[in-house]
Parts: sequence; C-alpha cells; structure tokens
Amino acid sequence: MTAKPITRRHALGLSAAALSSVLFAGCTSETADGKVQVEIVSYKQEAKSIFDQIQADFNAAHDDIVLKIDSPADAVTIMKTRFVRENYPDVIGIGGDGDYANFVDSNILADVSDYEGIGNVKKSYTDILKSVTYVPMEGIYGVPYVANAAGMLYNVDMFEEKGWSIPETWDELIELCEEIKAEGEVAPFYLGYLDTWTILSPWNSVTVNMVPSDLARQVNAGKAKFADYYGEPARRMRQMLQYSQTLLPGEPGPFAASYNDACTSFANGKSAMYPCGSFAVPQILTGNPDINVGMFAMPSADDPADRIVVSGVDLQWCVAETCPHKEAVFEVLDYLAEPENLQTYLDDQRAIPCVEGDFTLDPLFDGIQEFLDEDRVLDYLDHSYQSAMAVDAQLQTMLLDERDDDTAIAAFLERFDTDWLRYNRDVIRKVQEYESQH
Amino acid sequence: MAKDAFGAKVKERVNWPITAGLILLALIVIIFPLYMAVRIAVADKMPTGLEIFTLPETWDFANFLEAMEATQFFTSFMNSLLITVVAVVVSILIHSLAAYAIGRNMERRVFKWSYLFIIAGMYVPFAILMMPLVKQTAIMHLDNMVGVMILYIVFYMPMNVMLYTGYLRNIPVALEEAARVDGASTWTTFWKVIFPIMKPMHATVAVLTGLAVWNDVMTPLVIMGGSGVYTLPLAQMSFQTAFGTDYPLAFASYLLAMLPMIIFYIFAQKQIIGGVTNGAVK
Amino acid sequence: MATLTKGKVGSGRMKTFYAILIPVLILFIAFNTFPLLTGVFYSFTNSKGYGAFDIVGLQNYLDLFSDARVGNSYLFTFKVAVVATILTNVISLLLAIALSSKIKFKSALRGLFFVPQILGALVVGYVFSYLFTWIIPALTGTESILASPDLAWIAIVVVLVWQSCAQTTIIYITGLSSVPEDVYEAGSLDGATGWNKFRYITLPLIMPSVTTNMVLVMKNMLMVFDQIVAMTSGGPSQSTESISYLIYNNGLSGGQFGFQCANAVMFFILIAVISIVQTNFLSSKEEQL
Repeated sequence: MTAKPITRRHALGLSAAALSSVLFAGCTSETADGKVQVEIVSYKQEAKSIFDQIQADFNAAHDDIVLKIDSPADAVTIMKTRFVRENYPDVIGIGGDGDYANFVDSNILADVSDYEGIGNVKKSYTDILKSVTYVPMEGIYGVPYVANAAGMLYNVDMFEEKGWSIPETWDELIELCEEIKAEGEVAPFYLGYLDTWTILSPWNSVTVNMVPSDLARQVNAGKAKFADYYGEPARRMRQMLQYSQTLLPGEPGPFAASYNDACTSFANGKSAMYPCGSFAVPQILTGNPDINVGMFAMPSADDPADRIVVSGVDLQWCVAETCPHKEAVFEVLDYLAEPENLQTYLDDQRAIPCVEGDFTLDPLFDGIQEFLDEDRVLDYLDHSYQSAMAVDAQLQTMLLDERDDDTAIAAFLERFDTDWLRYNRDVIRKVQEYESQH
Repeated sequence: MAKDAFGAKVKERVNWPITAGLILLALIVIIFPLYMAVRIAVADKMPTGLEIFTLPETWDFANFLEAMEATQFFTSFMNSLLITVVAVVVSILIHSLAAYAIGRNMERRVFKWSYLFIIAGMYVPFAILMMPLVKQTAIMHLDNMVGVMILYIVFYMPMNVMLYTGYLRNIPVALEEAARVDGASTWTTFWKVIFPIMKPMHATVAVLTGLAVWNDVMTPLVIMGGSGVYTLPLAQMSFQTAFGTDYPLAFASYLLAMLPMIIFYIFAQKQIIGGVTNGAVK
Repeated sequence: MATLTKGKVGSGRMKTFYAILIPVLILFIAFNTFPLLTGVFYSFTNSKGYGAFDIVGLQNYLDLFSDARVGNSYLFTFKVAVVATILTNVISLLLAIALSSKIKFKSALRGLFFVPQILGALVVGYVFSYLFTWIIPALTGTESILASPDLAWIAIVVVLVWQSCAQTTIIYITGLSSVPEDVYEAGSLDGATGWNKFRYITLPLIMPSVTTNMVLVMKNMLMVFDQIVAMTSGGPSQSTESISYLIYNNGLSGGQFGFQCANAVMFFILIAVISIVQTNFLSSKEEQL
C-alpha cells in the first residue's frame, strides 16, 4: 500500500464533505411532476387542524397546484430565521402587528395591489394595516383574512345565575369585583401573566379607551410623550391584580400561572372573568367544551358611550417579494377566502371575517356586535411596539413592582419613553424623513 | 486499608450514618424528581397538590403512545442517534489524526501556531457564531442535519485535539520508529500503531462528544429550526407549547426523551463516568 | 524528541502531516473563524438579520453600555455563575468525601449521583419548572419562586447545581483517591486530626481538582441557555435573561441581529479574558505542586 494517494484522496474528501451538499441541494418550487407548490407558513398554531383540512380539500380539487400549509409552534421566530437564511415561504400568515411592520420595512413582502380578491376585503381592515407600518405605504402588503377582538371574556352562565350585570364603567367593574370577592366562591379574574404577552391583552383594551389613537405616531414625530398618557392605564392594571385568583386558596399567583393555566382555570369556573381576546376562546374550550363564553367591552372610558373595543387583523396573508408564481398564490388565497372555507375557520377559531359577505358570527361576539357594526373599534396598541423592546416584560415589571403605585408607575413611565426612543431610532429617522418629504 | 476523607484510618466497618445520609439524599434529590415525572406521566389527570405523594389509582400508559405521536418520537430519536453517531465517529477519526499531525510536530512553528489557533476556539462562545452560522449554513445549503453534524465536528475540535495531543505525549516515539523500520508509511503507522494505542482516549472523546451532542438543543434549534426535522431535545422544545396544560402528556414525553440515555447509562455506566472524569482531569 | 520527528519539510512524512493539517484547518476556519469574523462585521451594522441594512459604526457598542436590559443580563449571568460555581464545588466536595468513605452500596450510590449529568438540560428544566410551580408551593404554602423577580434566579441556580454536581463530584472522588496513604500517616504522626487534617493535608493535595472544577463549572455556567428556555423564558420582569438567551432571543426573533452581534463580541472577549486568567492561575498553581 502506498501512502500518498490515499492521503491526498482522504484530505480531499475532508474538505469536500463541507461542500458536497451545496452541489446536491437546491431550491425548488416545482415538484417533480411539474406542479407548482405553494408554501404557506401560518403563525396560528391553534388553527392547524382547520388548515390541514383546507389543505387536503384544496389538493384534492387541484391538480396543478400543491398547497402546503405549516402552522408550527413559535412560527414567527421560524419565519425570521428563514428570512435570515433567505429561504422565503411563498406566503406567510401573520397578524397586522409590529412584525408585519418590520417585514414591510425590510422590503421582503410583495405589493399585492393587483390581486383582485383585495376588492372583497373590508376597507376598515386594509386601513388598519396602513396604520401599522412605520410610514403610510403606497401599496398593499397583506390580504386581511380574519380579525379578533379583545375586551373582557366572561362566564355567561355564571353571570346569569348570580344575576350580575355587565359593567359599563370602571367603577361598576370594581364594584362587581368587590361583590365577587366578598362572596368568595370564585375569583373575579384569572390572570396568566407568567406568559408576558397575555398582559398585553388587558393593557390594550384598558389603554385604548384612555389615550389618543395615534399616540405612537405622535411620539415618533416628536410631538408627544407616553408618560403623559400611560400613567392611568398602568394604575388600572395594578388595580386589577387585587382581584386575581390569589383570592382562592391553592391557586398559583398571576405571575406563576401560564396562559394555558389561565384558560383552563377560567374554563372550569374558577373565575368569573378573564381579560383576554377572542383568540383565547378555542384554548378555553379545550379546557371545558361546555362553557358559555361571552365578551364585553373593557369599561375603561370615562363616558360609557365612548367605550371602544380593540380589534385588529389577527391573520393576514403576506406574499413574499421573491415568490415566483404569484398567480398560483392568488388562486390559493381565493380558495381560502371562499365563504364556505372562511366560515369553517370562523366557527372553529371564533374569529371575525375581514372579507365582505354574509357570515355567521359566533355568539361570543353578541356583546360587542354593536361596536363592530358602528365601527367603534381600534387596533391593538402593541401592534406599533417593537418586539425587541419587550413592552410586555416592562408591564410585567411594573405589575410586579412591590413599591407603592406612584413609584412603580413613575419608574415604568420613565423607562418607557427612554426605551422607546432607543428601540425606534431607525423608525423615528424614517418617520422624520417621510414628514420632511410630504 | 481504608481511610476516610480526613485521612483517619477506619477499620473495615461500614459507616452506617453516612450510608443512610447518602441514601436519603439520593432519594430526595435524585429519585424524587424522576419518580415525580413517572407519577405524572402515568396519571390520567394531573395530580393536584400533595396527591403527587400517593400512587395513582390506575396506571395509564396511553400518554406514552400519545406523546410518541405528538413529538414524532421515532424519527426524532433516529435523527438524534444519526447525528450523534456520525459526529462521534468522525470526531474520533479526524481529531485524533489532527492531533497526531500536530503533536508530533510541536517544535515546528506552523504546527505549534495551528495548535494554539484551534485550542483558542474553546473560548469562542456559541452565541457569537450562532447568528452568522444561520446565514452561512443556509447559503451553503447546510441548514440541515449534515450541517449540524459538521458544526459539532468543528465545535468539539478544540477540546478533542487538546485531549488527544496530551495523550500523544505519553506514547513513546520509539513505537513508531519500530513500525517505520518495518517499512510502514506515516499514514499506515498512524492507523496500525498510534490509533489503537489511543483507545482509552477514544472512549473519553466518544463519551464527552456524545453526551454533549445528544443533549444539545441550541445548534439544531438555530440551524434547522422550522425545517420540520427534529432531534429529541428540539422536538421537546418545539412541542412544549402544544402540550398546554396536559401535564401527563408532557411528562410522558419528557420521560421518553430521557429514557434512551438512562438505558445507555445502565449498560455503559463505567465507561461514561470514566470518560467524563478522564476528559476533565486531563 | 527522537530524530524521527525532525523530518524535512519536503519529505514524505512531512507531506502527510501537512495533508492532514491543512484540510482540518480549512474546516475549522470555515465554521469557526469565518463566522466569528462575520459576526464582528455585523456588529457594526443595524441589520435585522434579513432585508437591507446600513453600517452604523460603533453605534451598537455605544448602545451596549447604555442598554439596561443588556446590563441586567450580564449581572444576572455572573451572579448565577459565581453562586452556582461555589455551591457546586462545596456540595460536590462534601458529597465526594462522603462517597469516598467506608459506606455500603458505594458504587450504586456513586452511579446514582451521576445520573443528572447524562440528562438533557432542557428536559430537566421542564421537570424542575413543574416542581417549582406546583409541588414546592403545595408543600410550603408559598408562592412559586419562578413567579418572583427577586427569587427566580435561585430556581435557575438550583437546577444548574443539581446537574453540574454530578461531574464535579466524580472529579473530586478521583482527586481524593489519588491522595497517597503515607501522607496521612505522616500527618497522623504530627497529630493532625479532623478538620485540620482536611484543611492542611487533603485540601492542598486535591487543589488541582478544585481549580479544574472551578474553571470547568464557571465556563459552563456563563453559557447558561437551556435552563432559561425551559424554566422562565427570561422572566419574570426580564430578571432571568442570561447573555446567551438575550443574544438568541433578541438577535433572531427580536430583529436586533446587528446589535446582538455586538453583544456577542463583548461576551466573547469577556469569556476569553476570564478563561485566560483562570488558565494562568491554574497552571501557576500546578507548578507549585
């Protein structure tokens, strides 16, 4: 045996190992039999079974397009990781939130103004999307699919049984809480603040009634400060803590219970109310399929007539700029928006359609129907928060602060404005550039 | 003659207080968490409060089947096994070879500096490589199991090369000379003479690399997260939210994830403990 | 060294050595050095990780020093690392002494105390998270420490110590078993007993094990990640965000790719300095022996 040839071959093998799969792997958007594959990554993990069904139906009815809908856990992280890898899914299903604003800002979403289906989308929702991006955008970068609403979820049967009425002012709400607390059978609220994002739900619905609707843009334009507006909502958030499940023996506190714990416990009648959004209802029903959940508007406005319900785009379809077969994608989007399919989704996920048409809304929304009809809705405030700023964690810090209310809130407000400027530096620069040009 | 740690000679009499203390400690600290995991996993409903200390009324193993399905146990297990075996085998081959080339030429500047250069890699935290590697592996189409294997081979190179080089110092050069006199090439000498002598170090490298790779979640998470391909720990992490409050299901899946290693440990306890000790002390 | 190793560069033997070294170096540079340099490059940009980005010079580094969240993550990581390292070593040494004494079921007990080492940190974290949320509050009637920003770090320390004691104990046992018998005999003649014997005879002799363990455990603790993911996700109130967790979380999903690259560069420099200082300390100790 001679040494040299083996040595060289081995050495080559080593360095080639790193490169080999470069040659063999490759991006394909067409399957072997010439069908176009449309890949959707949706952040609605809880809607996985619905989309699995829709995917199967679609694929059975189409022989030119293969639809693949993924609804993984932690989907937004996965999307961003894939963007980092420049491996874009054809369509992403996300909310009309800060991530959406970031994606639009990074020029990775396609303008879908030429998609005919956009004409069927209710204008109020395309307007909401326009208000989410840092600066008003010319085109349309997402096709709204469904919306949700946040306010106060309550146990309808329990309310009827006890004869409690729906509070319309903050004082009435506190009175009701006192009454429930005095009875001592259930807690007024069940809070799952271990998962910080759940804090944003009550925060949004309390605050939206108490601050100007364009506050974030005013701040970005240098015309306002959050500290002037966020103090009172913060105080109410702290007030709500006094009526949590800690009133019941053996329950984990608000910061030890997770979102799932809270949903399950509310479902099983441990609390009368649960400050969360309609998106929580499917999870609640897994804990107890028989519970009768209702929703009322958070009574935090000074005048009950001014109450507003928080409603935002919960799921929209955004097409990747790089997508090579937009026609096929539009066909898929048309299919998803077909009344029959959309209604299936609405029934399963207790959602509100963003598309015009004659849809049946879940009884859950009976209590806020008039708000929806009269357009007394505003988008989630957190949709304009940068995710890296972690406003949810800042709220948690404020709520956990054991000092007196004034000190805790002052600390929160001071940090909020400082952090806002720091995390929105690029945004503010863009806004000011935009304003100087328009 | 036996002695205690303070050096006092003890007659061959069993120290029962210490034995009892250690057994009690092991029961509370090691056995209890494992017992708790089993207790919850076989329950049909999450035990509330102190119910955990009672045995379940019925033993329900359906959770395990459900958990296997939910976390794609068999594919995840096979992926973990494949990644670990390849990473370990290739590490042993390449790192021992590299250490041989370096260790026998330490007096040459190129090799000495290469050695220090590779060893310095031990100080590079994964955190700094993580994000660039996400991009790089994707561009090279290595955002998959092959990429994860290659990364492990590179990440554990500094430690393994150091271990092998250290071990090589104790192997007399005379052994190689003997082979050389018989006409063997350097290449053959390594595989026929040196590689077999390094056997104890192979065991150490295999244990250290194997344990670290098997239990690692961060590398597969950032390199192939979202690809739908899971290793056992990655599957645990990805499906954690899906368990919701179904704690029996969650614990069945935790146990399943721990089981392969526990079984392996029962059979190879001596080698594993030896490997870990050897690697740390060297 | 023998003449054999002093082959000429051009000789077949040296060719073989270079043919081994060069590909290995290429592999190492491609997947370690190169990404390291890329990371340094991104640390000077405002990249979100995807899409377009600008070069922002030293802005990220300036921001690092004014960012309270980053500062807290360093404080938390070092607090946990120092406390956990000390606890691990004290507990392990005691355990090693007990496991080295004349006890029944010695190998079974040693085997049992080693079990935490082989388990994955992530799953261990999930199990302990349940323990802290449901079992311990039920036993003591107190609130879960995972829900308290002041105490949650203790839960992280407990899990870290639980896992790292296994290996540390085994290393101490090895260290103790290598203490020669006659040293004790000499000590006994001088009248050393109990604590004094441990302090003046055993401890100096196992000093190499102590330093090995200190360095090893400290380095692992500084990289803490899995336990955070499994138990707290950095909460409550961001009180348990470790450096690695913050880099992962804000760098990949928070859109702060460039900024967190700068953070990672800082972290790298810090780890390197600590390790070099510790290693020098270690070798100076060894020379004394």
